[in-house]
Amino acid sequence: QDSFIVSGTVITGVDNEPIPGVNVIIVNSTQGVTTDFDGNYSLEVKNGDVLQFSYIGFTSQTVIVNGQRTINVTLQEDANQLDEVVVIGYGTSKKSHLTGSISKVVNEELDQIPVARVDDALVGQVSGVNIQQTSGEAGSAPTIRIRGTGSITGDSGPLVVVDGAVVDSDFLGSMDMNDVESFEVLKDAASASIFGSRGGNGVIMITTKRGKEGRTKFSFNTYGGYKSARQSDSYYFSVAETAERELAETGSLSDKTRYMQLIGTDRDWQDVIFDGGFITNYALSVRGGSEKTKFSTSFSYLHDEGVLLTDDFKKYNLNLRVDTKLSDKFSTGVSLTPSYTNTRRFDGSTHDILRQPPWLPLYLDEYNIQFVNRTREGGAYADAKIGDYAVQRMFDDYDLENGMPSTGSGTDISDTSNTNPAAKVLERERRDFKFKLYGSAYGQWNITDDLNFRTNFAGDFQNTKRTRWQGVLASRNGAAAAQSDFIQHNTIHLVWDNFLSYNKEFGKSEISAIAGISAEGWKNDYSSMTGTGYDSDLVQSINNATLISSATQFEYEKRLLSYVGRVNYAYDNRYLASFSIRRDGSSIFGSNYKYGNFPAASVGWNVSNEAFLENSKAISNLKFRFSWGVTGNDRLNTGNVNPNVSDGNNTISTGDAMIDNYPYLPLLDASTAVINGALAGGFNPINIANPDLQWERSVEINPGIDFGFYNNVVSGSVDYYKRTSDQLLLNNPISATTGFTEALVNLGEVQNEGFEVELRVRWITKENFSWNTAFIASHNENTLTDFAASNGQIQNVDTKRAAEWINLEGNPISSFYGWVVDRDIPTEYIRDPYHPIGAEPQDVYVKDLNGDGLIDDDDKAIIGNPYPDFIWSITNNFTIGSFDISFMFQGSHGAEIRNMGDQYLFNHFGSSQDFDPNTTPDQGFIKEKIFTNDIVQDASYIALRNVNIGFNFPKDWTSRGNVFTNARIYAAGQNLMYLTADDYTGFNPESIDNTSPTAYGYQRAGSPIFRTISIGLNLDF
Amino acid sequence: VSGEDYYRNDQELEKGVINIYDGLQGENSTSSNDNHSTQVEYYLTEMRSDNTRTKSQEGEAAQFESYDVQAVNGIVYDYYRSFYNVIYRANVVIENLDNASDANRAKFEGEAKFLRAYAYFNLVRLFGDIPLIDRVVSPLEKEVQFTRVSASSIYDFIISDLETAVVSLDNNYIPKASRAGAQALLAKVHLTLGNYTDAQVLLESVMQGGFALQSNFNDVFYKERNSEIIFAIEYLPNLSDDSQNFSAEWLNAVGRTVGVNYVTTEARAALDAMGGERTQYSYRQDVDQPTQYQVAKYFPNGELGPDYASDPRLAGNDWIVLRYADVLLMHVEAIMAGGSSTSAAAALSSFQKVRDRAGFTDPVTSITKQELLDERRVELAFENQRFFDLVRFGVAQEVLSSFSVDNGYNFQSTDLLLPIPQAEIGISNGLLQQNPGYN
Repeated sequence: QDSFIVSGTVITGVDNEPIPGVNVIIVNSTQGVTTDFDGNYSLEVKNGDVLQFSYIGFTSQTVIVNGQRTINVTLQEDANQLDEVVVIGYGTSKKSHLTGSISKVVNEELDQIPVARVDDALVGQVSGVNIQQTSGEAGSAPTIRIRGTGSITGDSGPLVVVDGAVVDSDFLGSMDMNDVESFEVLKDAASASIFGSRGGNGVIMITTKRGKEGRTKFSFNTYGGYKSARQSDSYYFSVAETAERELAETGSLSDKTRYMQLIGTDRDWQDVIFDGGFITNYALSVRGGSEKTKFSTSFSYLHDEGVLLTDDFKKYNLNLRVDTKLSDKFSTGVSLTPSYTNTRRFDGSTHDILRQPPWLPLYLDEYNIQFVNRTREGGAYADAKIGDYAVQRMFDDYDLENGMPSTGSGTDISDTSNTNPAAKVLERERRDFKFKLYGSAYGQWNITDDLNFRTNFAGDFQNTKRTRWQGVLASRNGAAAAQSDFIQHNTIHLVWDNFLSYNKEFGKSEISAIAGISAEGWKNDYSSMTGTGYDSDLVQSINNATLISSATQFEYEKRLLSYVGRVNYAYDNRYLASFSIRRDGSSIFGSNYKYGNFPAASVGWNVSNEAFLENSKAISNLKFRFSWGVTGNDRLNTGNVNPNVSDGNNTISTGDAMIDNYPYLPLLDASTAVINGALAGGFNPINIANPDLQWERSVEINPGIDFGFYNNVVSGSVDYYKRTSDQLLLNNPISATTGFTEALVNLGEVQNEGFEVELRVRWITKENFSWNTAFIASHNENTLTDFAASNGQIQNVDTKRAAEWINLEGNPISSFYGWVVDRDIPTEYIRDPYHPIGAEPQDVYVKDLNGDGLIDDDDKAIIGNPYPDFIWSITNNFTIGSFDISFMFQGSHGAEIRNMGDQYLFNHFGSSQDFDPNTTPDQGFIKEKIFTNDIVQDASYIALRNVNIGFNFPKDWTSRGNVFTNARIYAAGQNLMYLTADDYTGFNPESIDNTSPTAYGYQRAGSPIFRTISIGLNLDF
Repeated sequence: VSGEDYYRNDQELEKGVINIYDGLQGENSTSSNDNHSTQVEYYLTEMRSDNTRTKSQEGEAAQFESYDVQAVNGIVYDYYRSFYNVIYRANVVIENLDNASDANRAKFEGEAKFLRAYAYFNLVRLFGDIPLIDRVVSPLEKEVQFTRVSASSIYDFIISDLETAVVSLDNNYIPKASRAGAQALLAKVHLTLGNYTDAQVLLESVMQGGFALQSNFNDVFYKERNSEIIFAIEYLPNLSDDSQNFSAEWLNAVGRTVGVNYVTTEARAALDAMGGERTQYSYRQDVDQPTQYQVAKYFPNGELGPDYASDPRLAGNDWIVLRYADVLLMHVEAIMAGGSSTSAAAALSSFQKVRDRAGFTDPVTSITKQELLDERRVELAFENQRFFDLVRFGVAQEVLSSFSVDNGYNFQSTDLLLPIPQAEIGISNGLLQQNPGYN
C-alpha cells in the first residue's frame, strides 16, 4: 500500500488560534511530528493509520486516515486537563480537586543529576523543602526539613512512603533514581495527617515506574563524572606567606620559620584529604506488558568515589515488578527490590587533618629524612626510613647553626605528638555493607464499579554489617591500640494495609472515600564486638586480637496499629471538601497514652470553574483552598543506630535504641564492678522512666491559592502556613544531681510560620525553541512560644568546647548564645603571633553590654540562629532544535552557623597564641572566641546547583535503523558556582555536625560541597 | 530489663549495691560525655595542688594547674555529674531497703551510705555548698536540684551516713566498704571540721583492726589488696568496662592527652629532700622527654608490679582511697589537734612507723605541723591528698599563692573552690548560684 503525505493545521476550540507544539503521532508506530508555530504539520501516512493529536491542556483527538490529504483538527480545552493525577496518602486525587498543599516533582531529568542518592537530587525542586548536605561523605544522607524544624525531637526528617508503603528513611540511600516516576511532597498537616503520628514532619511519597501496555521498551541510561571539593581559601596557610608577614612586621625571620622553610614542604592539606573522585552510573530497564499483565524490571549500578580521602560508595539495585488483572474483578501484583551497598567511610575528621602545619611532609623522602632527629623521643625515630609517615616530633631539636638535628636542644617546631594526620585516615578501614530487600504484594477486588477492597502487604528487611579496622600505624599508640570492630544490625519491618475505597459520581457530585486499617511492626537485633591489640595489619579477624574488649547484643521491637478514614467531596468541580481521620496506637507510649487521634479538614473553591470566569481568557485556573490538620510524632531519637549518620567522636555508637523504644519503662542495664579482686555483676538504671510520655502534636492551618493565567502560560501557587507543635518530645537536659543529664519529656510549643511561592512561566513555546522558567521560594520563621520551666535554659553540645545555646521563648528554638566581640587583641600582646603557621589567638575583647564595668553572664546575648529565613531556586529550561538546556540556581539566606572548625583550623589552642598576661590591658574584657559571635558566621549561599545541556538525536536519525526510539547525550554540572557570605570561613555552609534540636547548627570543619562535571547518555529502544 | 519491679529482694539489692561501686569506677573511655568519675579526680585535686601539672601546659587540662579553671570546664562537669550519679545509685538502694531481709538490711544500708558519704565528702570539699539529694528525685523537682545547701549541713549529712555505716558494717570485706573504712573516712571528716577528739577515737579503733604497713613502699601500689589498704576502688586489667585509663594518661602519649599529672619541680624537690626510700617509687624521669617527670605509682604496664595490661589504657591498678599510713598520719594530726606541734607518745609512735618504712629510723621526739604536712606530702604524693591537706591544715592560701607566683600562675583565694559546672547553671534558670570568682 502506498504511503502519502497528509498535512493540516491544529487550532484551539476556544479562540480558533493555531497551536504550536501539538504532538501528532501515528498510533502504534514510532513516527510522529509536532506542529510548527503556525499550527501546521505534515506527515507521511498510509490508509488505515490512526493519527493522534495531543497537547497539554487539551483533550486528545484521534483521526483515522482514509485517503484524506488534509486533516485539520480543532482541539477542545480539557477542563480536567489540570487533572494530572497526584498521589496522596492511600490513594490518588485529581490535581484540581486538591485542597491541601502537595507538590509534585516528575522525574524528567532528576536521574541525570550525578548524585548517589535520590534525596540529593531533590534539592531546590520543591518549595518549603530544605535539603542540606550536612555530611559530604559519599552516600551519606542529607538533612531534609519540610517547612522548618517543627518537631524538635532528634528526628525531624520527613516520612518516606514508596508506592504507598511506609519505609525506613534510609531507603532513600538504596533506591535508584532511574526507577522513580515522581515524587509527591505532602507539606501541610491536612495532607500529611493521613499518616497520623508520623506526618508531623511532612511526607515524601515516591512512585516508581511501572510497565505500560504496548511494545516492550528498553531503556539504558548512563553517566560518568568527576567530583571535586570546594575548598576554603581561609583555611589555606603557607610557610611562605607567614614568613613574608613576619619579615614585614618584625624585620627578621625567627628560627622556627627559617627551619620550616628549610624542610621544604609547604602543602595545603585540603589537597590531601579532598582527593576528588569519579562517579559513574549504569541503569538498564525493560518495561512493557499486555492489557492484562504489565511488568517492569531494572538493574542499576552506581559507584561514587567521593571527594574525601578513602570514602567510596557502591550501590547495586534490582527492581522487579508485575501487575496483572486476573479478571474484571480481581487484580494483583508483586514487586521486589533488592539492593546492596558497600560504603567505605572517611574514618577521621577533616578538622583534625586540616589543622596540621603546612611544613609537615606526608612521607619521609630522600631530602627531608636528613631533618629527622633520631635521638628525640627516647630514640623512637632511630630507624626512620624513606617512605615512613612523617610525624611532627621527628623534626624537633634541629641545630640550625650546624644544619643537623641536635642531640642537645635545638629549634622545636612540633605542636602535637600525634601520628601523621593522613595515616589516621589511610591506615583505617571502615566499611558499611547494607543488604536491603523491599517487597510488596497486593490484591485488589473490585466489588462493584464504585467500591473496591485492596490488601497490601509490604516489608523490608535490612542487614547492616559494619566493620572498622584501625591499623597499627593509625595512631600514636601503635599495635596495642590496633582495633577491629564488627557490628551486625538486622531490621525487619512489615506493614499490612487493608483498605476499602469508594468512588462515585452523582450528577455533579463526586465522592471518593477510603477506610482502612494498617498494622506495622519493626523487629531489630543488634550485636557488636571489639577486639584490641593486634601484632600487624595482616590478620584482622577478631580471634587474632589480644583481647576482645567489648561485646554487646540487644533486640527491640516496635509496633503501630492505625485506623484510617477519609472522604473527599467535589461538587461540579467547583466546591471541594475533604475530611480525614487517623487513629494511631504505638508501642512506644505507656498505656494511658498509647493512642492518638489525628483529624484533618480542608475546603477548596475552583473559582475559575464558576460561570462568571468561564469565558475569561486571562484566568484559566484559580483555586482558593484552606486546610487544617493535626499530625503527630512518636519518633524519639536519643541515640542513633542508623549507620548512615556519623557521630562527632568517630566512634561507632550504639545509641540508646532501647530507651527510644521503651521510654515509658525504667530500664536497667547490666553493670560490673570489681569487688575483692573479682568481677561482680550489678544492674544500673539507664534512664528516667516517663510513663506519661505521649504523642507530640502539630496543628497546622494552610490557606493557599493555585492560579493559571492565559492558558496556564503563567501558573503557580501561593501558600501561607502556621504550624504549632506542642507536647514536644524532647530529650531535655536536666540537672546531673538527679543521676542523669537528660530526660525524655513532652514539653513546650514551637511555631513555624511561613510563605511558599511557586511560579512557572512558559515564556516561549515554538517548534524549535521553547523557554520555561520555574521559580520557587519559601520563607519560614521558627519561634519557641512556650518552654515551661525550661524557658531560658542554656546548654552546650560539647563540654570541651562549651559554646552555648539558649532556648528562650520568643526566639528560634536553638539560638546561639554568647558574648559579643568588641575587638581583636593587638598582635603586640600575643606571645608568638607567627606560630603555629596559620594560628590565631583564641581570645578576643568582648563588649560590656550592660555597662557595669565587668564581663559576666549578664553580658551574653543571642548572637544568631541556624535557620534560614529564605530559600529559593530558579530553574530555566530551553529547547533549541535538538538541544535542550536547563540550569538551576538555588540559594539560602539568613541562616547562621557556629563554625567551631575555626577553633581547630586557626589553632586557637596554641599557648604561643596566648596574650601576655603581664602586658595586656583590660584582661577582664577578654573571652575565648568560641564563646562569642566571632565564630558565628553567615551561612547564606547561592549555588548554580545543576546545569544540563543535552542533544537529542533527530527522530529520523534514530528511527532510520529502527533500533533506537530515542537517543540523547548530555553534559551536566553540579555546583559549578557556589558563593558564600564573606565572613564564612569554612568549605560548606550546609554542613552540620550536631543535629540536636535544642542546640542545632554547629559545624566542626565538616565536609565540603562538591562540584561535579559529568557526561551521560540516554537510549530507548 | 525493666526496673519497675526490681530491687525487691536481697539478691536484687545486692546488684544495686555493686552498681554503686561501678559508678565510682567510672567509665574507661575518651568520650567527654561519659562519667569518668574517680578516673579524672587527679585533675581536680592533685593538679590543683603544687604536686602535678600537665606536660604541655595546654588545653582544658591545664586550667587546673594555672588556677584558671573555667565554669565550662568539661572535666569539672564530668566529676560533678559522676559523683551525683554515684549518689543516685546509692539512693536507689536506700529507697528500697524495706525489701531487704532483716539479715542483710543493715549491711546494704551501711554500704550504700558509706559510698554516698564518700561522694558527698569529695563534692563538698571541691565545690563548697552543694545541692543535697538524699533520695531519688524526679526531673521536675528543680528546687532541690538547684538549691545549694550550706557545707555544714552537708557535713552533718555525711557524718550521719558514716555513723550508720560504722554501726552496720564489719571488716570482712576490705577493700570495699567496711567498718574500718567508715571509721577512717569519718575521722577525716572530723579532722576537716576540727573535731579532733572524735577523730582520734575513730582512728585508734581502726588501728586495732589488724592493718599493717607494707615493708616495701612500692608494694603498696603494686600488690593489690595488701595489708595496708583500707578502702580502694578496684579495677582489673584488660576489661574495657572494669579497667582504668588514668595510669595511661599519666604517661607520655599513650592515652587521650599527652601527659597529664606530671610531677612539678616543687614536688620533686620535696620528695628528693624528704622522701627517703619512697622517692624512687614515687616519680621517675620520662624516658621520652628527659626534662619531664612522671608519677611512678600506678604504672599500667606491669613495669613495677604484677597487674599487667597489654594495652596501657586498660590498666588494672586499684585506686587507693584510704590506707594505713594515711590513718597513722591522721592519728598524729588528731592528737596535734590544730596545734603547732606535738610530742605525745602516741603521736610519735604512729609517726615513727611511717618514717621507719621510708628509711628514716632516727627516733622522732617531736613533730611540728609543718613536718606533719611535709610527711603527708611525700608519703601520699600523687594520691589526691595534697590539695585537701593544704586546705585542712589551713595553709592552702599561703602555699598555693607562693607556688603560683613562682610559676607565673594566677591563684586567687576563690580558686580553693571549683566552679559549679556552667551546664548546671545554664539549665537552672537562675536558681543555681555560681561560686565567687567564676563569672
